[in-house]
Amino acid sequence: MQFTAIGTVTVTILLLGGFLFTRDTLSTVGDEVLRKIEISVFLRDSATPADARRLAAALSSDPRVKSVAYIPKALGLREMRERLRGQIDTSLLTSNPLPDALRVRVVDATQVPAVAAKIRKQQMVASVEFAADSVQKLLRISDVLGRIGLAVVLLLAFTAAIIISNTIRLTVFARRREIAIMQLVGASSIYIRLPFIFEGFLDGVLGAALALGFLELARLQLVPKLAAALPFIPMHLGKINQGAFALELLVVGAAVGIVASWLSVGRYLRA
Amino acid sequence: MISLRGVSLVYANGTRALDAIDLEIAKGSFVFLVGHSGTGKSSLLRLLYREQLPTRGEVTVDGIRVDRLRRSRVPLLRRNVGVVFQDFKLLNDKTVWENVAFALQVTGARTKDVMRQVPRVLDLVGLSHKSRMFPSELSGGEQQRTAIARALVNNPKILLCDEPTGNLDPANTNEVMELLHRINLKGTTVLIATHNALVVDRMRRRVIRLEDGKIVADEERGYYLAGPPSREAPAPAPAQSA
Repeated sequence: MQFTAIGTVTVTILLLGGFLFTRDTLSTVGDEVLRKIEISVFLRDSATPADARRLAAALSSDPRVKSVAYIPKALGLREMRERLRGQIDTSLLTSNPLPDALRVRVVDATQVPAVAAKIRKQQMVASVEFAADSVQKLLRISDVLGRIGLAVVLLLAFTAAIIISNTIRLTVFARRREIAIMQLVGASSIYIRLPFIFEGFLDGVLGAALALGFLELARLQLVPKLAAALPFIPMHLGKINQGAFALELLVVGAAVGIVASWLSVGRYLRA
Repeated sequence: MISLRGVSLVYANGTRALDAIDLEIAKGSFVFLVGHSGTGKSSLLRLLYREQLPTRGEVTVDGIRVDRLRRSRVPLLRRNVGVVFQDFKLLNDKTVWENVAFALQVTGARTKDVMRQVPRVLDLVGLSHKSRMFPSELSGGEQQRTAIARALVNNPKILLCDEPTGNLDPANTNEVMELLHRINLKGTTVLIATHNALVVDRMRRRVIRLEDGKIVADEERGYYLAGPPSREAPAPAPAQSA
């Protein structure tokens, strides 16, 4: 009986921990991509290097802008040759077709469209490009993931609470004679509840502690292998070892246990 | 000490257990509640220790309106009302001492008080020498005396007994009734629901007779049945004292 409750909390917290880790990793991937999104500003041929630097300075003073890099056309061509090496024979280029450009990065990815629109209004700017769709999609995915995450966490906690509650009810049922006598001789409700609340608390904390053990094992054994197999995904190996994370899961386990047992004993005492 | 005014009790399945009961029981009384099974004796007792709420009417116990009592105050009422049952309701994994002490401990009593009170009530019920025994090692009478000791350990003003001799042989029945009589002499109000005619007829105390949830007779020094036709003429029902 007890093992079932503890085991359920373990599985729940394990799933919760695994989910938080996955969400964290996905969010890190999203952040990485968003961080790399930049606005490419192509200047008119008539713009002089001095004009370009003036525009760069003006953009830098915008609090939404994180950095502005001036890429003269010669540097742009060199970078393009580097990027396309082995794919296109760039030696065929006899002149530099690229304009002078600025690369603008913003502090918050959601500000990209607004900052781009502001830049587009500048007279010396020929065109402005950024991965608009990608930004919007990533932002949407990130938002949806957050919501799904919250729903999954709540659902898991609810499931664990129901199972702990049922386990405690079995214990309450097994001790119903003792409880009936306690009520008969004038024991207060809190006196009767306390042992069961403590049992729920212990179930929750023990289950969460076991889950933390398994998560630590997974961190040591599984994550390095995953990280090696999926090198393009930035996995934060240190995260699940943090005290705050462990404490969070322990508190969730304890809270689920306490609330579940409080409710189940309460229902019995009212009956 | 106990007052019921216009009390009716109808269970969820529609059964009318009690019907317009008016009853007064004075402090220090010794009262039998008699009647066939299912006439409402146990239901009436349950109203007094707030195991059950009346459908209608007022229930007052030691000045407390039990029918209006908040759930959180029920434990305080029950420390003033001891209850004894036919099946003893002892904890089989606890000794006599532990069963009695349990009733004090769960109310948060100090160890010093437990050590003082438990020997006192065990002495009163004559079980001091068996305090280390488990219920399974005792006779039925001894088990009931343990249950009485547990009911008395909080010094209640009222002792309610629901068929206290129902599971006992005549010798043990006499022992238990003698004990309840002595408890009453010390000032505790005793209300016994029973259908043990011999006990009622021998003790000749106030008898309240229930039929179909109604009080059909209330006699001082009464008999189990409506008077002893073979021995003497039925006494007139005395006026009720508050």
